Amino acid sequence: MLRVEDLHKSFDKFKAVNGAYLTVEKGQLVAVIGPNGAGKTTLFNLITGQLQPDKGKILLNDEDIGKLPPHVICRKGIARSFQIANIFHRLSVFRNVQISVLSQRKLSNKLFQPAARLVVNETHRILESVGLLDRKMDVAGSLSHGDKRILEIAIALGNEPELLILDEPTAGMSPEETTTAMALIQRLAQEEGLTILFCEHDMEVVFGTAQSIMVMQQGHSIIQEEPEIVRLNTEVQQAYLGDE
Amino acid sequence: MEGAQAIGLAALSITFLVGLSRAMILFIVTSGLSFVLGVLRVPNVAHGSLYMIGAFAAYSISVLFGGGSAGFWLALIFAPLVVALVSLIAERSLFRHLYQREHLMLLLFTFALMLILGDLTKIVWGADYRSIMPPTLLRGSVSLFGSPFPKYNLFLLIIGPLVAIGLWLFSSRTKMGKIARAAAVDMEMVGAIGINVSWVFAFAFVLGCMLAGLGGALVSPTISVTIGMDHDIIIEAFLIVTIGGLGNMWGAMVGSLIFGITQSFGILFWPQFAIVFPYLAVVIVLTLKPTGLLKSVW
Amino acid sequence: MFREMIRQKSFGVSVIIFGVLLLAPSFLPRFYIYFLAVIFVTALLAMSLNLCVGHGMIFQFHHGVFYGVGAYTAGLLLAKTSLPWWIAFMAGPLAAAFTGLLIGLFCIRLNRLYFGMLQISLGSLIWAIAFRWYDLTGGDDGIHGIPIPDFIASTTSSYYFVLIVLGICVVLMYLILKSPFGSTLQAIRDNPERCAAVGIHVRRHQLKAIVIATFFGGVAGVLFVVVEGSIYPGLLFWVLSLEIFIMCLLGGWFTFAGPILGAAIIVSLRTFVGTIQNIGPIENVGEYWTLILGVILILLIFFLPEGIMGYNYRQLFRSRMKYSSESQVE
Repeated sequence: MLRVEDLHKSFDKFKAVNGAYLTVEKGQLVAVIGPNGAGKTTLFNLITGQLQPDKGKILLNDEDIGKLPPHVICRKGIARSFQIANIFHRLSVFRNVQISVLSQRKLSNKLFQPAARLVVNETHRILESVGLLDRKMDVAGSLSHGDKRILEIAIALGNEPELLILDEPTAGMSPEETTTAMALIQRLAQEEGLTILFCEHDMEVVFGTAQSIMVMQQGHSIIQEEPEIVRLNTEVQQAYLGDE
Repeated sequence: MEGAQAIGLAALSITFLVGLSRAMILFIVTSGLSFVLGVLRVPNVAHGSLYMIGAFAAYSISVLFGGGSAGFWLALIFAPLVVALVSLIAERSLFRHLYQREHLMLLLFTFALMLILGDLTKIVWGADYRSIMPPTLLRGSVSLFGSPFPKYNLFLLIIGPLVAIGLWLFSSRTKMGKIARAAAVDMEMVGAIGINVSWVFAFAFVLGCMLAGLGGALVSPTISVTIGMDHDIIIEAFLIVTIGGLGNMWGAMVGSLIFGITQSFGILFWPQFAIVFPYLAVVIVLTLKPTGLLKSVW
Repeated sequence: MFREMIRQKSFGVSVIIFGVLLLAPSFLPRFYIYFLAVIFVTALLAMSLNLCVGHGMIFQFHHGVFYGVGAYTAGLLLAKTSLPWWIAFMAGPLAAAFTGLLIGLFCIRLNRLYFGMLQISLGSLIWAIAFRWYDLTGGDDGIHGIPIPDFIASTTSSYYFVLIVLGICVVLMYLILKSPFGSTLQAIRDNPERCAAVGIHVRRHQLKAIVIATFFGGVAGVLFVVVEGSIYPGLLFWVLSLEIFIMCLLGGWFTFAGPILGAAIIVSLRTFVGTIQNIGPIENVGEYWTLILGVILILLIFFLPEGIMGYNYRQLFRSRMKYSSESQVE
């Protein structure tokens, strides 16, 4: 479904991404791991259009999306959540998700209908599936950190994506919150049939859930294989797991 | 078509040079704006007011010293210093308390400053036109291509590049200059390595305003100094930094050249609506390169 | 759609105020009727600007251009052609919206703060042209004694006309802000990057908001012609634009009706200051209105950045955060 080939991106002289390769099959749960500064977030930003690659290809269903802007890529079926909570702080939880549902249904430009009455059921359904329905009227900025990360995912779900990209979804979460979040992600993958690509720091989380793991170091991909093979690979152990 | 035939090569060349010399003043003023833009990331709307104060201060200083040649040269030295003082007062008393706030507040402050300085200028100097004479050395004209070319403009053609070189040396060779350039790219890093960010801001702001004041002092013998100068120049300066590339000093030079020369030719061909020519150039540039000709500093 | 509006508590208050204003001509002297009409026109102008600034964070620093274009278009058509009045009245806002689109296209590609900077400069071209094209626009003098249709020519009838148009426009703006378009605009204001990531074409959406705002600005311009019967280049001058901006800030730029309050205060203050002759040694205080405006702005920046209504709102907000009903939470 998604294929990244030999991707490069530099900032001035600094090579953030230096030969990245990634394959995501439909229906898979794929994880990208690597030490800090390995280029994971940059890679995600390149895929979803916040950055443009210097070299290399990003193919979504065999279509090159490397040069497209974020809102176009979103329409192609990719939705993402951000590493730093990137929600609409002043709006209610309900509104946060409603914005993306409205956008998906191409209703964002309606001028003379009340927003309060549109796409209410769909928004409620998403909120319920992530467990935030009872908080729908709260101001988003007042949520706990863990709930904000869940809201992040809910906003992305509003886009009815085929591919959901999550940038460190459990960052800053407590162990219970992490378990809940990962259970949610797995459920989304199974029940909704979503293809999910995420990057993570927490090794246990990754090895417990991902079906395929890509390891990055200093901007390039070392290996992408099933968890067991990755765990046994010496290069990975040296570069990454050895430091843990 | 008669008018076009009457305009010979000599007139065109003189027009070009006049535009070039006007561009030098524009450059000096806009380089200051660009500098502040680069370091503080805020367009200083009051920049034009400081230019105007520079011109009025030059007038007063030259009158104070007898109005002759000595008066002019002294004005050229002291007027920018007066402007620097004014901007320092504004910065230390009010502006610096806003550095922690969002950029919009900084921008709004410069608006307020413009409004206040504009009326203060009116209170101090009144609404009459002032003029100052260039020094004896620079009075009159030389003959270029068979046509008269003001000596003062020749002086501007020399001063402009000197200031440009001075600024370039300053920003690339001196410690302060390098800090300012680093701050333009990454303010947090500069703070993290122990440099007092507030003083960097203050320095950048005062230097930028001083350049505006210098521009005002230099322009005073060529036009009537009056209220409203601030609005005219700031509108032009905004256009110039936009087409040149935000925060880019060489962009300010390129933008000033385009603006000054098209304006000069505009006056030649269509005096009543000469203003349209530089705007046309701006529209063309922005259509082709929406974010300016040269790279923004960040 | 109207049902939601009527259920708001503030709707009842607004109806009462509107009713009082409708009755005003029967008990207020003529000058005050004129004065209120001027406030209404300015209030509409400020509301139209706030669509961009408060609800979209689009720093429209030269909104006055569109006000002036609306006024000049309508005024010139009325004064110099024999076209019927309703064509002139419709042409004004359309011309303003078109100008808004043109200028917006250039400015929208720059980031927030610089958008306003470029707009000031581009808009000033229009001012310069109006100023210099003496034959068409009357240059610095402007044009006076513009023929207004009889049914709205008198002070009282123009007052009613302006009040009704203001009422209609306010309702329209309310509906627009509560629609998906308005919601999305406010989301863009708060987090444009996130909006792009959910598929919204941010720049295009903002451009649409600008066109709507400048349309209403043009309507205000037409109303100006109705009330004053004249046009002059000062309408296009950017210090006026700054004044409108300050009105929005003063009243409360994140609130719906804040700009109306701000407009009322500034217009009242300006009129009052214009009547003062001397304060101590300073003569003709009215001439230094821009100085006073600058001081007001500084006070706002330092002490009241969310405006008067914004400040009150926040007090309300804090106690209601947990119990927010749909209408309270923005």
